[in-house]
Amino acid sequence: QVHSLQELRRSASLATKVFVQRDYSDGTTCQFQTKFPPELESRIERQLFEETVKTLNGFYAEAEKIGGSSYLEGCLACATAYFIFLCMETHYEKVLKKISKYIQDQNEKIYAPRGLLLTDPLERGMRVIEISIYEDRCSSGSSSSGSSTSSSGGGGGG
Amino acid sequence: MPAASGKRFKPSKYVPVSAAAIFLVGATTLFFAFTCPGLSLYVSPVIPAYNAVVFLFVLANFSMATFMDPGIFPRAEEDEDKEDDFRAPLYKTVEIKGIQVRMKWCATCRFYRPPRCSHCSVCDNCVEEFDHHCPWVNNCIGRRNYRYFFLFLLSLTTHIMGVFGFGLLYVLYQVEELSGVRMAVTMVVMCVAGLFFIPVAGLTGFHVVLVARGRTTNEQVTGKFRGGVNPFTNGCCKNVSRVLCSSPAPRYLGRPKAEQTVLVRPPFLRPEVSDGQITVKIMDNGIQTELKRTKSKGSLEVTESQSADAEPPPPPKPDLSRYTGLRTHLTLATTEDSSLLGKDSPPTPTMYKYRPGYSSSSSSAALPHSTSAKLSRVNSLKEPNSICESGHKPSYRSEPSLEPESFRSPTFGKSFHFDPLSSGSRSSSLKSAQGTGFETGHLQSIRSEGTTSTSYKSLVNQTRNGSLSYDSLLTPSDSPDFESVQAGPEPDPPVGYTSPFLSARIAQQRETDLHGRFAGAASPKHAAPREPSPVRYDNLSRHIVASIQEREKLLQQPPAPGREEDAGLADSGIQSTPGSSNAPRTSSSSDDSKRSPLGKNPLTRPALPRFGKPEPPPALRVRSLGSPDQPAAPHLGKSVSYSSQKTASQAGGPETEEVALQPLLAPKDEVQMRTAYSKSNGQPKSLGSAPPGPVPLSSPTRGGVKKVSGVGGTTYEISV
Repeated sequence: QVHSLQELRRSASLATKVFVQRDYSDGTTCQFQTKFPPELESRIERQLFEETVKTLNGFYAEAEKIGGSSYLEGCLACATAYFIFLCMETHYEKVLKKISKYIQDQNEKIYAPRGLLLTDPLERGMRVIEISIYEDRCSSGSSSSGSSTSSSGGGGGG
Repeated sequence: MPAASGKRFKPSKYVPVSAAAIFLVGATTLFFAFTCPGLSLYVSPVIPAYNAVVFLFVLANFSMATFMDPGIFPRAEEDEDKEDDFRAPLYKTVEIKGIQVRMKWCATCRFYRPPRCSHCSVCDNCVEEFDHHCPWVNNCIGRRNYRYFFLFLLSLTTHIMGVFGFGLLYVLYQVEELSGVRMAVTMVVMCVAGLFFIPVAGLTGFHVVLVARGRTTNEQVTGKFRGGVNPFTNGCCKNVSRVLCSSPAPRYLGRPKAEQTVLVRPPFLRPEVSDGQITVKIMDNGIQTELKRTKSKGSLEVTESQSADAEPPPPPKPDLSRYTGLRTHLTLATTEDSSLLGKDSPPTPTMYKYRPGYSSSSSSAALPHSTSAKLSRVNSLKEPNSICESGHKPSYRSEPSLEPESFRSPTFGKSFHFDPLSSGSRSSSLKSAQGTGFETGHLQSIRSEGTTSTSYKSLVNQTRNGSLSYDSLLTPSDSPDFESVQAGPEPDPPVGYTSPFLSARIAQQRETDLHGRFAGAASPKHAAPREPSPVRYDNLSRHIVASIQEREKLLQQPPAPGREEDAGLADSGIQSTPGSSNAPRTSSSSDDSKRSPLGKNPLTRPALPRFGKPEPPPALRVRSLGSPDQPAAPHLGKSVSYSSQKTASQAGGPETEEVALQPLLAPKDEVQMRTAYSKSNGQPKSLGSAPPGPVPLSSPTRGGVKKVSGVGGTTYEISV
């Protein structure tokens, strides 16, 4: 370990988590609220957040769609006494993979640079989208709590 | 699997599934072995093939229903539940297609159960779209495996019909020579099939209806949508297609944990903040700000609910430690008004039903105390009366100055108003007093459980940890008053409902306090919202004082008659004793004064027949008096005794009033009198006097005893 480098490098610590709840207004179909949490007020643009959530909602709607493909899948599964599930991925699972990829992509491009991290709702039983908020913590300093605007925002690192 | 951790092997739960499997496989095997060869030979080979296919289908669905995860929710992690349990409401509402649906907090899984989710006690898991727990497959039926369960039922019905039908064919048409063994086996298989057909077909029909209506067994059995609209239905066709044709939902448990490959490293980008975007966060320091904030609606309200409530309930401690109940009550209106996109945060209305599920002792007793504050208050007042009748006096006496003292305790500020009831030892005695005591008792038990620092948020509803919350006991207007007055003793609000448990000493103290602060802002303020309460301590104090004064005046007149009368009255009642026939004018007039609104008969003295015992020792009476009475004790002892039957001020009040001023009589006094009767019932007991007994309305009319009916149907006997 190069300690001198580490001292120069700033680290982030988990400050708090925000939970975006499910939107049950349309029954049990999976969608999340697009309401902007106040904790993110100073961390990310409202529009970006809403776009993320809306895209996710779209994915889930696609996963739960009852159409020709899902019907055929069901018939095939019945016909093979469900052994097909050992070999093949269901439609839902395929979409979930897409979602996972999308979330990772969003994290890399948008959220991590802002000190945020999205967690796949699947890990929480599709009940919430967990957004972790990180604070800048200098290795020598103590972490600040909450989403207070720290002066580090503009400061350059290293 | 976390859900299965800590479970011991219980063989009993495998009995039904084993039996089902044995019957299914066994009977079918016998059928194939004994019946099918003959059938295939002499009728058609299609028969066994068909039966084989159907049987395979049955087995596949049976296996899927048995072994498939029904849609178990993983336990919520610690960080999802930031809020202290005690302050979180038990329910949250969401609006689904215009219908309010309640989400209950699951204490085991530590989240608010999504709609249609239920916690299976057998599996100890919350299951998504919980249908039921099926013992025949030893598994919950939920979102993921309902389809397989349904198909299992359909295919099993078909299979049973096939086996029975072909067996019958075999037997009736004597397909082959009557071999004894084959015939016998076929008959046995037919019997088994016939036996199982009825329940299976019934269940299948039931589920066909459920699928068509878009309901789960749980919803059907609990009658959730009886007479109402089911928000989860999309029409028969769509419901059926959803069950049969939708893509199987993913399981939540047992997933490989995704590696977090994205690194979060400062410096962080920050969005540009324009002036218009700056939101002011109001830090609550008291109810007023809280009120304003919640009532202001708009973004502050919304955002606060969104973020603060996020997964678990409400807001940060410092803000709402005292008023979460109030807040939820207030915010309910606002959130309901505002957009209905499942704002699940604050809207736990104080109108919520009280869910006995979590509370132990208070369940039944508490039910009447749910909903509105007024209602609870009234109930609390009335119940004590009935309890008094059963003679819980000893417990009352063991509860000295519970209210006033503790109320002024310095710790008051920290938690909610019922900090007073924090004396653990008393709580136990009160609890045993039961009945209405439940309120205070329960509170005390809660307190003694160590929840001292927590506030009783959302008190009408049960809180998540099972404690009763009591802010509903005070009307919302009370609480702000409470807080604003702060640690200043405010016995008034709790007075009403805790009164029955106060001993005479408390009553004394209370009266002194009341006198002292009679003109205080608190009492009228609190008197107003507590309109429904029949007993008012501020009124009582006035009456008490007045009654004492009048009494003194009266007693300065003919002492002898007065004494007799007092003796008669001594039983803290208007006497009906035949013995004390000469009701002195004085006392009678005093009684009359009380009664005049009732009977309009100045000369009649209403008798409280219950208290037929004359001449209890003055000492006892004095003791039962409140403080105002004490100075006049010697004279008033007898009369006052009856007047102060109040062990709680309530009891005493009406009776003093009986002695007291007629102008002060009001309809509520009637109630008070009635309540006093009940109280006095207990009183004589404790005084060692005659048993309270039922109101001896039947006491004989001696010479000079008149019967007067008062307001409310009470009959009084007045000795003339």
